[in-house]
Amino acid sequence: MFLHNFKYTFKIIFRNKMLVFWTFAFPIVLGTLFKMAFSNIESSEKLNLIDIAVVDNQSFKDNEILKEAFDTLGDEKDSERIFDIVYVSEDKAEELLESEDISGYLLMDGDEPKIVVKQNGINETIFQYVTEEIIQTGNTVNTLAEEEIAAEVAAGNFSPDYKNIYLSALERVQDNEVSLKDVSNKNLSYTMIEFYTLIAMTCLYGGIIGMCAVNNNLPNMGDKGKRTAVTPVSKGKVLISSLLAGYIIQLIGLSILFVYTIFVLKVDYGDNLALIIVLALAGSLAGLSLGIAVAALIKSNENTKTGVLIGITMFCCFLSGMMGITMKYIVDKNMPFLGKINPAAMITDGFYSLYYYDTYDRYFVNVAALLVFSLVMLLLSVRGLRRQKYDSI
Amino acid sequence: MDNKYVIEVKGLTKEYNNLRAVDNLSFEVKKGEILGLLGPNGSGKSTTINCILSLLKFSSGSIKIFGEEMSPDAYDIKRNIGVIFQEVAVFEELTVYENIDYFCGLYIKDKATRKKCIDDAIKLAGLGEFKKFYPKQLSGGLLRRLNIACGIAHKPSLIFLDEPTVAVDPQSRNNILDGIKKLRDEGATICYTTHYMEEAELLCDRIIILDKGKIIAQGSADELKELASIEEKVTVEINNLKPEIIEAVKSAENVDTADYIGNTLVITYKKGQNNFGALIDFMSREGVVYNKIFSERPTLNDVFLELTGKELRD
Repeated sequence: MFLHNFKYTFKIIFRNKMLVFWTFAFPIVLGTLFKMAFSNIESSEKLNLIDIAVVDNQSFKDNEILKEAFDTLGDEKDSERIFDIVYVSEDKAEELLESEDISGYLLMDGDEPKIVVKQNGINETIFQYVTEEIIQTGNTVNTLAEEEIAAEVAAGNFSPDYKNIYLSALERVQDNEVSLKDVSNKNLSYTMIEFYTLIAMTCLYGGIIGMCAVNNNLPNMGDKGKRTAVTPVSKGKVLISSLLAGYIIQLIGLSILFVYTIFVLKVDYGDNLALIIVLALAGSLAGLSLGIAVAALIKSNENTKTGVLIGITMFCCFLSGMMGITMKYIVDKNMPFLGKINPAAMITDGFYSLYYYDTYDRYFVNVAALLVFSLVMLLLSVRGLRRQKYDSI
Repeated sequence: MDNKYVIEVKGLTKEYNNLRAVDNLSFEVKKGEILGLLGPNGSGKSTTINCILSLLKFSSGSIKIFGEEMSPDAYDIKRNIGVIFQEVAVFEELTVYENIDYFCGLYIKDKATRKKCIDDAIKLAGLGEFKKFYPKQLSGGLLRRLNIACGIAHKPSLIFLDEPTVAVDPQSRNNILDGIKKLRDEGATICYTTHYMEEAELLCDRIIILDKGKIIAQGSADELKELASIEEKVTVEINNLKPEIIEAVKSAENVDTADYIGNTLVITYKKGQNNFGALIDFMSREGVVYNKIFSERPTLNDVFLELTGKELRD
């Protein structure tokens, strides 16, 4: 029964012209357009050193961690540095920003860091991200050091070695923390960001496949669903076999997209292609599961469900920075929980983390989060469909 | 299955907000019979079927199929049920053969058994020449036949047909009705909903007439016709009929009504025998010359009209 439903769901989806277009043709068309639109500006937009300024006021000088970090990131002797930093007054920094000599500047207002930028772009976003990272690390060091000092005091040592405690805390954090990579030599450009966006969108389009596969089996969606509902087959079997068929079609679509972008459009995914594919697999599962959940849990007609699914997908993409990378920063800073439940954010964050960090911790957290998201969506769907009778059909 | 009744419905009530779509319905379907649920649109026929199939929640009552309580996961019961819904429920992306195979495969695992069942269903529905056709290549009548083939290919012992002949050409309709009789002859019990009285009369062993969710009459077609107060209706095409003749007809024995409109005289009789013969004798005696004369027994529509004050097709 499982294989039977799988086989026919596969045929039904594969022969559905609308689904085939959105799954196979649309990403390829969009990818071709991206390549045509961005190839000319790619070389000029490739990431090099980012020019920034730091307002060299007393508050900055007093913040040892921040000062040390920016000195390191802007160290001219380091060939892998990210920033070209000038230390200036606030007025001078503003002047440099106005004349677009720098992407932005850091101003410490007491303990409060302020990042001032003039426009939204990749350089500005990296500057914001890096500063956030340093501040978070500083906070962690402070917390660890304070705990250590409290422990020393509790043990009867009323004059602990503060300097050593802070250095030790810093070392512990550095041992565990991810370190930022140099991205200047990588092929991370607007074009690459758009291709990541394209892969993420293709993953989430799987939602339409999932929704169609489930709708075909729901009695309130038409007589086909009624006919299936009166068969002696459990909803769980139908759901899982439909999911599997949809997933394989989704993977075929992604494979075609990868082959086309690599061999025809000559997109260089760098050394991380295998990890990009793994993330795309997890992302596709999440997209598919989201579509299944919308189909299973919303008691309405097909048009409403499609509208809801597209609305959710677009909103998730918007919040994840697919339509402007600054939005990702705003969400991460002000509403971090949204990033934790947003599959589009998990996919994009996974892609960016492959480029920003030397370690893969954050990448694997995103892959795991996508799998957990998929599991939750599927469990909710099965619960919604189990033993279901309708008030009206 | 020792149970005498294949379906037992007791006190079934289904309400949508303030509307009572099915009102305290109780009936049984015996093994091997064709039960017709006859009623106009909105009388509760499809709602009753959907409740029996556990697709719809119902407000009160109980439903047993093959002596067991019906529920959404009563797979042993569902295994022996076939359903043909009003709308054609097939996949546009699959061929005729694949559609039948898909639905049949949800009941029968074994490929060889399934192939035999599919071939039988194709033969019964007369779709042999169209096996490789996609649904959009079929006419309306052929689509209906495919719809039926998909519902009965697994050889169920209980079949629900919900208005399967709506918008079907006469040839396909006859084909479908013949197929249903054949299924009954092979031992299936059939529950058939329709608003076509001729179909119900032709096909069903027993008919339940529904109106506004309630049973207003039930029995065989002949038993139901007994409920009509008229026994016979005679229509005479006649020119320039004199008023005194009309009055004489009205006062004749057993005559209920006699109306002369245009050049047609319609006479209805209450009970009694040989009314038609007596009328012809009367016409001969009075020297009345008529063009055409014929007699009809009351139809189910007349019964429905008498019981509800409206036509079945209203």
